[in-house]
Amino acid sequence: MKNEIKKYRIVDLMEENLTNGSKNIVTRETGRIIREAIEVKIQKEQEEMIIILDFSGIGIIDFSCADEVAAKFIARLNLKEYGDKYLLFSGLTPSQEENITAALEKKKLSLLSLKEDGGWKLMGILNPYLKDTLDLVMERKSLTARELADLTGVEINSASTKLLNLNKVRLAIRMREALPNGGRQFVYRSLISSS
Amino acid sequence: MKNRICCPKILDESTFENLINQLDKIGVDFGMPVTIDLSKAQFIDPYGILGLLEIGRYLSERDLSLSLILPHSEEVIKYMERLDFFKIASELFSLDLDDAWPQEPFFRSPHSDVLLETRKIEGTDDIHNLVEDVRQRAETILTSHLKYDANAIDSFVVALSEVCQNIPEHSEDIGYVGIQKYFYGKKLGKNIVKIAVMDLGVGIRESLTPKYAPSVKNWSDLEAINLALFKGASRFDDPGRGQGLTQVRKLVERWKGKLMIRSGTARSGIIPPWEISRPKRSSLKDFPGTQISIILPEKFS
Repeated sequence: MKNEIKKYRIVDLMEENLTNGSKNIVTRETGRIIREAIEVKIQKEQEEMIIILDFSGIGIIDFSCADEVAAKFIARLNLKEYGDKYLLFSGLTPSQEENITAALEKKKLSLLSLKEDGGWKLMGILNPYLKDTLDLVMERKSLTARELADLTGVEINSASTKLLNLNKVRLAIRMREALPNGGRQFVYRSLISSS
Repeated sequence: MKNRICCPKILDESTFENLINQLDKIGVDFGMPVTIDLSKAQFIDPYGILGLLEIGRYLSERDLSLSLILPHSEEVIKYMERLDFFKIASELFSLDLDDAWPQEPFFRSPHSDVLLETRKIEGTDDIHNLVEDVRQRAETILTSHLKYDANAIDSFVVALSEVCQNIPEHSEDIGYVGIQKYFYGKKLGKNIVKIAVMDLGVGIRESLTPKYAPSVKNWSDLEAINLALFKGASRFDDPGRGQGLTQVRKLVERWKGKLMIRSGTARSGIIPPWEISRPKRSSLKDFPGTQISIILPEKFS
């Protein structure tokens, strides 16, 4: 089963919520207005939805805005303040990427950005052992703790913890699946395969 | 005796102290009109222009009536006009422009090296407007003279946004910004762009005092500037706050530029290898608010 996906265009949110007609997300006040507009929308979405924040057509994002729109938002997303939702960024310029990365690093957060060629990029800070796990999830599209344990030679408990922690930072989707023998297991899926 | 503040021949970040130091003598004849004498000025950059405006505001807020003696140099007058000095100064000074104003009519050149005329910063919309304008004009100066690519222009504008938004965010005052391109022939052999940003607000030390004064030994303006510039200090507890100046410093360092912040009785910043200057000074004459000077050179290959 695939997760439902919605794309929010930041350009549209700016038109709806700002009166100055600007295409640049500058100043903390602007960042707060845009973040709050996203929060209102995302809270109305169904659980387990993947939201893509699309920055196409946006000029610059300064550090203060990056902190509001990316870092502060992701910190709350990880605490499930908006429910069980997932997030991807798309359409970022190199300058926007640089400033958002700086804001994420300051708070030791991370997120996935979609690239134009269909690839992905991890932005911010992620513990190296989780980064290795993320790479495997992204490569294989989905992974169980048993599969991760077999692939990496770690105990299944350790593999399970790694995948759970990846889900806690909203970088992998956790889904409960029924087994043929009547049991259940958790499958961790890549945000990209679902998007 | 008439209160008179005399402008040095060169008015920029390096000589601004000269003007501030003269404010002491104003106190002696408090209540008398003050004249700011620019007659000997031969060069004024955006920092000097903003400094004059802030000194004008400083004196106006003390209920002193002000007048201005224009520079003898027509070129300096024309430059001040190009930077919209007189438009803003007319709210602060008694200006009699007839006597010294150039006889020949002059027009603003479309090829002027002014990237941004003096702008008043009061709120968020002012920053949006200046960001839009600088991005639109970037092609002329930042691309052709400074050799900045699209990514570098974006970084430049982000830095500008960050230093300017400190005014509505922290200063509890209004402020000004101005930007100009120059050619640093002798010193650098390259084009440079000068950004000046000033306010007369609470200053960095007062902004940080509630959070840092109890725990910092010898709490002072210099300590406060250094904490804000080098440690990302902020009056807020959120670790995402206070990153603006730190990120601007990193950009200036990466581009081998100069950044100097004056606030209260101290100044501190970063000095590139091509500049000879003291990076830190304390025990200066107290002056309210925060005054920032940024010099960014043409890209080093």
